[in-house]
Amino acid sequence: MAEYTYEPTKWHELKAPIDGGRDSYQQKSWNPPKEKWGPYTEKGAAPVWFSEANATNWTESMICKAKDLFYEAKLNECFDKGDEVAIKIHYGEYNRTAILRPEYIAAIVEEVKACGAHPYVVNDTTLSYHTFDNMATSQYQMEGAIRHGYTDATFGCPVLIADGYSGEDDYRVELPEGLILKETFIGRAVAEADAMIVLAHARGHSITMYGGALKQLGIGCQSKRGKYITHLAHWGDPHDAIGWPKFTDQCPGKACKFHQMCDDSCPRGAHHVTEHGKVWYPERCRLCYSCQVTCIFSGMSGITFEEAYFPNAMIAHADAALGALKCFERGKVGFINHAIDVCPECDCFPWAGLAVCPDIGIFASKDLIAIESATLDAIDNAPISPGSVADEKGLKPGEDKFRMINGFSPRITMAAGEKIGLGTQKYELINYEPVMSPENAAKWQIRRAGDGNHVPVTVRLRKVFNRHDLATEVMPFRRAEYNKEWVQNEWKKFDPFKGEPPE
Amino acid sequence: MQRVTWVDAENMAVGNTVAHKLVKLIRESGIDSGFSSGKRVALKMNTAEEGYEYGLKPVFFRIVAEMAYHATQKRPVLCDGQKLVDYWKNAKGNTFLSVTEAMGYSSETLGGHFVINGGFSGDEGDLFPCGAPDSEIAGVEVGTAVCRSDMLGVLSHVTFHPMFGLSGALLNGGFECLSARERTRVLRGVNPYMFNGQRPADRELKRFQRGALDSHLGVRASVEGRLFYVNYLWDVTPEPEYYPYSGRPVVENLGFLASSDPVALDAASLSLIERRLGSCQDITGIDFWKVLREAESLGIGKIEGEIKRLS
Repeated sequence: MAEYTYEPTKWHELKAPIDGGRDSYQQKSWNPPKEKWGPYTEKGAAPVWFSEANATNWTESMICKAKDLFYEAKLNECFDKGDEVAIKIHYGEYNRTAILRPEYIAAIVEEVKACGAHPYVVNDTTLSYHTFDNMATSQYQMEGAIRHGYTDATFGCPVLIADGYSGEDDYRVELPEGLILKETFIGRAVAEADAMIVLAHARGHSITMYGGALKQLGIGCQSKRGKYITHLAHWGDPHDAIGWPKFTDQCPGKACKFHQMCDDSCPRGAHHVTEHGKVWYPERCRLCYSCQVTCIFSGMSGITFEEAYFPNAMIAHADAALGALKCFERGKVGFINHAIDVCPECDCFPWAGLAVCPDIGIFASKDLIAIESATLDAIDNAPISPGSVADEKGLKPGEDKFRMINGFSPRITMAAGEKIGLGTQKYELINYEPVMSPENAAKWQIRRAGDGNHVPVTVRLRKVFNRHDLATEVMPFRRAEYNKEWVQNEWKKFDPFKGEPPE
Repeated sequence: MQRVTWVDAENMAVGNTVAHKLVKLIRESGIDSGFSSGKRVALKMNTAEEGYEYGLKPVFFRIVAEMAYHATQKRPVLCDGQKLVDYWKNAKGNTFLSVTEAMGYSSETLGGHFVINGGFSGDEGDLFPCGAPDSEIAGVEVGTAVCRSDMLGVLSHVTFHPMFGLSGALLNGGFECLSARERTRVLRGVNPYMFNGQRPADRELKRFQRGALDSHLGVRASVEGRLFYVNYLWDVTPEPEYYPYSGRPVVENLGFLASSDPVALDAASLSLIERRLGSCQDITGIDFWKVLREAESLGIGKIEGEIKRLS
């Protein structure tokens, strides 16, 4: 591999701020891929652990099962004691409600800490995906994260932006194996971690059709530079290349009530409205999707995507995912997919459509493609949620849901990912059901059984009541005289759908 | 003559608490005149190293942050860079945040968005010229949280400093605003931890002092001169905040000062301390008045200032 060198800045020739360009140190900085990186599964099917949504007792809480799966899938072996462990999540767009609840993240942070490592929660800045995007700058993204309940206090560890204040704190990673991209840029807080646990929300995606653990790597771990080149994977002559927005002749110009919102949508001023249409300057465009999202989701049809764009974007984001994976030694990255609130769109949308299927459960594995394949199969086989877009489109259980909803099969990404060494589509699903026992019921409660002087809170309260017997002090209290007939007959037999309630 | 406003720490009463005094200082000094709707204000603060126990209380920063928020309707950014040369060798964003959190500094307590100036690595920044023709360092890389703001407020915990003499507006608004690797470049291999008998040669210290002053010019260029300064004369320790320990404060709490001139502000701060202690040169071995004169000669500000006292 070529030795990395860079020209030192010529300080004495510096007369004004340097504006962009490829001459600064960061843009050339290079984090050499780990020598021992590689797909976790060398041959055969990869094990994927699964625990279904739903609970009827303490051990079956989704949080408790997530903790169990962390150990069942041996994700605790992804790191050593003392390691700095990045916990990669999606911070969610402002006003988005279908995101992972903070408890799911806190649960894994607690276990990483319990194993003696030092976790920190990360997400990168995004591109300007639409006019009101809050994730494109560190400041706004963190304000949104706090609003979602993602804070140092709720997780019990630092919560930060992986690619810096402006999204420029990154490393370049070379990708000779990539099918489209031959390089990408990874946020430093990811690239410099010793290990990473990816906690993904499994749901749909308008560009990659589906978003789970792979998308957390292929877009989520990319810095702004990485995201731009992943979006722009097939840039070229705007007249014949597919990697550009498609400006149609349907734009009504200033007659469109969203025309100002549309003009404001581009961070590079690459288009502006005219009386009867839109002028586009391709040399300024860097395909952040903002104009397309603004137009499409305001119900207009002046700016859209070339249809052939999507499969290429899916392959490119698998390449980019490889960039993130190559920052770690083999087996140093673990994945958990949460198939909960399986909405049709990404967490970077500032709204949430109805889930396309009921909650499915949690998957855990060390093989990226295997966990994604298992999750997709489970989502496809799940029933259709009434009123959802899947229901509107008349989907049946067993069909390729996100292909029908978003346009292409997410398995394009999985096949591309398998080719470049992200993992295997062959998986062995291991159903995990916790055994209800006194030990297991107590295991993941607020104070662990067996911890030091731990006693159940009920037993602790005995001491409190011995000093101050609140439970007795409340007696007697004022109340209406007990009327057995009134309770046993009149209220017990009352049917709220027939007749009036008792006096 | 430059104006420095000083609100002392005396006559505390209901309605004249530390918070009231700080609000009065900001309003009377007029440094808030630059706040206007929509402006992105960055507040450069000092967060202490693990082991340094005299860091300022979060509320001291929060008061300024809330005033900025009310005037601009935008949450300000509060920032500090990774430590000079991290004593504990933990110079990464996550450990930096763990330490600051333990000190009580977070977005929740500070009234604004708390970030690392320079990002996770500390190296995210832009290059700006220092402007002084004879400057050896010529240009500096200023951390992004500072240089991407419309206005910079430099909120400094005044302490003594083993390489600069006094840590206040000049150092915090200059050298301390640089990206991590840029500070390493300005240091040029000087070991900043001058305990256990270590002390660089005077020549090296002078080069550092000049570099730090040039840095101030670079930072000023990065925000196009839109700066204001507040010095907190509170727990004035003999060691600066980047040390992993500190001796007890050397003077009683004297209050807070504000100005738009960092030289006049640091000069006024040192004068107030020297009124109590006499010459402070023995504490650090550095004549800070000389540093101030050099700053004045570089056009950073004026030493002579009119101190307006409030109580």
